[in-house]
Amino acid sequence: MIVTPKILARIVAIAIAGVLLQLSFFSRVAFFHTSPDLLPSLVVSFGLLGGTMTGVVTGFSVGLLVDCLLVEPLGASSLVLLGVGYLAGLFRERFEIHSPLVPPLLCMGLTLVAELGFGLLQLLLGFDATVSILVVREILIQSIFAFFLGWPIYLGLRRALRPALVEDPTAQRRKQPTVLGA
Amino acid sequence: MYRKQVRRRRAVLALLIIGSFALLTFTYGQASNGLQRGVSTIFSPLQEVANRGLKPARDLVNWFDSTFDARGLNSRLEAELEKARSQAVAGQAARAQNAQLRKLLGLDRKVVPAGYRPLTAQVIARSPTVWYSTVTIDVGSGDRVAVDDPVIDGDGLIGRVAEVTGGSAQVTLISDHSSAVSAKVVPQGVQGVAKAEVGDPGELNLDFIDSNRLVHRGEAVVTAGWRVQGFASLFPPNLPIGEVTHTSIVEQEANQQVHVRPYADLRDLETVQVLTGGWRG
Repeated sequence: MIVTPKILARIVAIAIAGVLLQLSFFSRVAFFHTSPDLLPSLVVSFGLLGGTMTGVVTGFSVGLLVDCLLVEPLGASSLVLLGVGYLAGLFRERFEIHSPLVPPLLCMGLTLVAELGFGLLQLLLGFDATVSILVVREILIQSIFAFFLGWPIYLGLRRALRPALVEDPTAQRRKQPTVLGA
Repeated sequence: MYRKQVRRRRAVLALLIIGSFALLTFTYGQASNGLQRGVSTIFSPLQEVANRGLKPARDLVNWFDSTFDARGLNSRLEAELEKARSQAVAGQAARAQNAQLRKLLGLDRKVVPAGYRPLTAQVIARSPTVWYSTVTIDVGSGDRVAVDDPVIDGDGLIGRVAEVTGGSAQVTLISDHSSAVSAKVVPQGVQGVAKAEVGDPGELNLDFIDSNRLVHRGEAVVTAGWRVQGFASLFPPNLPIGEVTHTSIVEQEANQQVHVRPYADLRDLETVQVLTGGWRG
């Protein structure tokens, strides 16, 4: 990804909008008693489009903003989301995305990783309460939501950041010259 | 060139990981810092706009969820209605007697305990992960909200103020893993500590209940609100918390396990009241 000041402004605007949308909307609605978590999918999409560096930096920044707005210990969300962004970026650098199902599947898998990461971090920081078995159900349902949310997020982000993408098949197709008589 | 890029990426990754651990180390268990207060102040107006703008969409989505729930609840409610009908007659007589007694004693009939000033607030944000149960409200220190102020809604206790900034406050809900509320079962007066069951905001555990004093399903749980030699509970007495759903006695322990369903719907909070002032104010 070629990050110009204009693209950077877009990334910042999208990240802020994503965090506000999560805290004001997605966290406060429930399907099957579970609120969707948009943020891991957003960070995964950034990682898939921009690579490890973009994934890591956006993951850290989004996590920091969430922790600031919720007045929670700083660094917890950043640590988890930068890990998720790194894994998504690594996937993009090592493998080709051949199937349109890859981004939503990655969003699903990495949302699962993120939620387990939050849980692990809580255990490490000290935890004085019983954990309901419903946590497992909630995490699994959140991952399924991430599958459905990941698809439009990835497509929307790719559209918004198209000028900065190094390998954009749509743009490449458009640039191919027409061969007359072929 | 490629190696240089890889080295730079690794350096950024290492820097951010170390940064995250450093932030976590310095801010865990501490009060809100300048960065959080600044960011909250800047984003509070934006959050309020987002909250108002997205309310219709939120209501629509939650309506669908509630409709699914209502189907399952219907049969249970029918059975409860039968029981409630028989209790209603006795309840009406008791209410009339209660009204007379209150008039005689000159008691305030409001739910809000004496000395507290209720301050209405809107929930503007909610924690996204299952591991935290916190909400952000649109009133802060500028409105005389202080740390540890109890927060209620129309159904009962929902939590306490954990952090305050100029125009907003973070409320730790009673379903958060860090929450513990000194509570009693009425009418018996058996006391315990209501703690959360992480992942299930529809259930609390009432710990430290003596197994010799049996608690029954359907009994109400309210805040104990004790005050001893200068020490006091964070919550005033008799704020409704929830209803006992089931109890069990663990053989190895001398305590009863009491499960409580909170009266307040902790998943769907819109308007709440912060009880400012009170015996600490």
